[in-house]
Amino acid sequence: MLDRSKAPIIHPIDKIDLPEPRVVRLDNGIPVYVTDMVAQDAVRLEMVFDAGRTAERKPLAARTTAALLKEGTSRYSSAVIAEMLDFYGASLSFPFQPDSSNLVLFSLGRHLPHLLPLMEDLLEDPVFPEEELRQFIQRNQKMLLEELTKVDAVAYRQITEAFFGESHPYGYNSSVAMYGELTRNDLVDHFERCYTADSCSIFISGSVDGQYLDLLNRTLGRLSRRGDPGAVIPPPPAAVPKKYKYVVPGTLQTAIRVGSPLFNRRHPDYPGFYVLNTILGGYFGSRLMQNIREDKGYTYNIYSTSEHMLHGGCFYIATEVGHGYAAATLKEIYLEMARLCEEPVEEEELTMVRNYLIGQLLTTVDGPFNISEVVRGLIQEGLPADFQNRMAAVIRTITPAEITKLAQKYLARENQWEVVVSNSN
Amino acid sequence: MIDFTRFTLDNGMRLLVHVDTNTPMAAFNLMYNVGSRDESPDKTGFAHLFEHLMFGGSVNAPDFDDPIQLAGGENNAFTNNDVTSYYQVLPAENLETAFWLESDRMLNLSFDRKVLNVQRKVVVEEFKETCLNEPYGDVFHHLSEMAYKVHPYRWPTIGLVPEHVEKARMADVRSFFGKHYRPNNAVLVVCGNVEPETVRAMAVKWFGDIPAGKIPVRDLPAEPPQKDAVFRIARGNVPNEALYLAFHCPARMERDYYVVDLLSDILGNGPSSRLYRRLLKERELFTSVDCYITGSADPGLFIIEGKPAEGVTLEKAEDAIWEEIAMLRKELVPDRELEKIKNKAEATLIFSELSVLNKAINLAFFEILGDGSWINEEEGIYNSITATDLRRMAGSMLVPENCSRLYYKPKEEQQVEPVAAESLAQ
Repeated sequence: MLDRSKAPIIHPIDKIDLPEPRVVRLDNGIPVYVTDMVAQDAVRLEMVFDAGRTAERKPLAARTTAALLKEGTSRYSSAVIAEMLDFYGASLSFPFQPDSSNLVLFSLGRHLPHLLPLMEDLLEDPVFPEEELRQFIQRNQKMLLEELTKVDAVAYRQITEAFFGESHPYGYNSSVAMYGELTRNDLVDHFERCYTADSCSIFISGSVDGQYLDLLNRTLGRLSRRGDPGAVIPPPPAAVPKKYKYVVPGTLQTAIRVGSPLFNRRHPDYPGFYVLNTILGGYFGSRLMQNIREDKGYTYNIYSTSEHMLHGGCFYIATEVGHGYAAATLKEIYLEMARLCEEPVEEEELTMVRNYLIGQLLTTVDGPFNISEVVRGLIQEGLPADFQNRMAAVIRTITPAEITKLAQKYLARENQWEVVVSNSN
Repeated sequence: MIDFTRFTLDNGMRLLVHVDTNTPMAAFNLMYNVGSRDESPDKTGFAHLFEHLMFGGSVNAPDFDDPIQLAGGENNAFTNNDVTSYYQVLPAENLETAFWLESDRMLNLSFDRKVLNVQRKVVVEEFKETCLNEPYGDVFHHLSEMAYKVHPYRWPTIGLVPEHVEKARMADVRSFFGKHYRPNNAVLVVCGNVEPETVRAMAVKWFGDIPAGKIPVRDLPAEPPQKDAVFRIARGNVPNEALYLAFHCPARMERDYYVVDLLSDILGNGPSSRLYRRLLKERELFTSVDCYITGSADPGLFIIEGKPAEGVTLEKAEDAIWEEIAMLRKELVPDRELEKIKNKAEATLIFSELSVLNKAINLAFFEILGDGSWINEEEGIYNSITATDLRRMAGSMLVPENCSRLYYKPKEEQQVEPVAAESLAQ
């Protein structure tokens, strides 16, 4: 008879294998980081330019320039470009990054001979048609108005603006007026200055054989712009924490954000903070989730997370709750933060967090696309190649006392900003 | 091509194992053949509430999540109209932890009153967060109710109204579990860096002695063909107007399902699709426009939705959509466009095979619908589809009498009522 009270043995995960990427240089000097693992004939190509918000001379120039790259070149109209991408079953997206502008192309390998010349054209000779810009602005203004009816969107905008300031590259928020002020010249300036071979890195992963690399050189290796975009190091965040209340009429839930500005991932406290944040609100077993959702039932979801940029970062707790639970939820949030500052974490809980996080690290090296994203982060943020293993070492060995010290440093109530968005004051 | 081995345990539970050595992980997906279509009309939202209760602990594992997290894994679940699925992704060497936990809650779920009380509140907050407090969040309440008169797809999985969830009693919970959560009503799929024989041995060890149950025969009323156009105006706390056209379309396992899938791609998939290119970019009638199908086991919906541009009326925007539909009904799709959407479908299939969890969920769903190996037929079906097929389906399906039309408008005054309750009163 099977003894179900006996759980199967859990095997510790000894090693996180991050295969080192091969690095090749194209003729114009662009470094290419290759993660070659044959599974399907699928390829992910990510290009990173130092063309983010920190390189902007006008707000929203980075995002808008990236979005309009595929809306017309001297050779191809927007419609032709869209048709070519679709015809070869590809997808091209521009995920938002505060410090860079990235292009991500997913494609079957066998279509690359058609798609890479198109990419070269988009990045060598875009025309940024006035008409496309006008339409882009109109659509985005309208979508923005919709976003502003959502309490969670408003809360995120306000807390990040509060941390960094309303004209800071990491903190400013788009507005209808800001879109209205964008001109074609702003995009041309941003493009000519920032989309240079000197500011570019390429991360390619999937089944990438030598033939494709040769093709890369004959296309993206010919991109001709040179120079340094002149990105600035943004000023430090605001120093004094504040509390804010906002009203979005007619909503059924209150959005709550509590948090504070933080460091980048090169900071010595980063790995330890990562463990601390996990305990507080970084996984389903976290204290916030267990207390506020699983015990009290105030919310469907509550979490804490951190965001890290090249020159700083931030941490915040986020949740949406029924209006009647808002005050009680805030009380419990501060209670959980205080507990971490006052009481050492029990070894049982810490063991679970250690194992959970090692498993999470393992999923980041699951398959070539994930690995390539990890590599991109390490290169972009200037982190050492063995960063994952250094993280693993801290996760395995951090002590309860060290966690308490980090909590006292970063989670003290008097250091927290607070944003509450509700239907009334 | 996704190769798998199928085993059937003595109690009727099916196990499919697919080996993928490109990953250090294993995905474990246990899918029960029960969804919101199996609910009674006065107790909607129950299948989904029950999914929450499955995390409330079992006799030998009082906390479900702790051991999975200790094993370095993650778990979650989803419920839809057709199925309820529980999945875990964990380091392959710790796969057995998933077997232990998942079998224990199938055999010995705790029926804890506190868990029920808390999860009722959690689900009501989920209802608010995803439907009532989200702009346009109750659209599926409207469309389901307009398009279906007898079939249980007439309520969404989250439930018709929060009150149904608030009313759930422990007796309902026990009876639901006894009826549906039996090994012979479940399909287990394991994908990843594993050995099929080892996995089979684990399945026999942990699930083999769980008794089979008597599964109620599913006898759902078929939705009769729609005869007349349906139209409704909904109002909500939204800044922009929106319109939705919902057409009945074929069931998931019919060949014509794939034909209408390609039709939806022609209209709405990608920056070169007809609605996006012609109506949004060229004629500037919309700020957003999309077309997709619900993909349900029983006949589902083919949905076109859009938000008109500034100064464009809903009527004018809708007319433009019907012009595009008229073209699909009349003219054959050109060769290059057909090749384009087939290329896109192929790429989508290949990219979906890169994740072990995706593969596990898809295999389980096809096995529940009849045969897991259907997953390997899809590419061939897409390839066999002709321009004539597309015109034939556009002709029979995209007609006003098969359509539910919903106009969504901002409220005239800012005043809040639970919108689902409002739709019930109509």
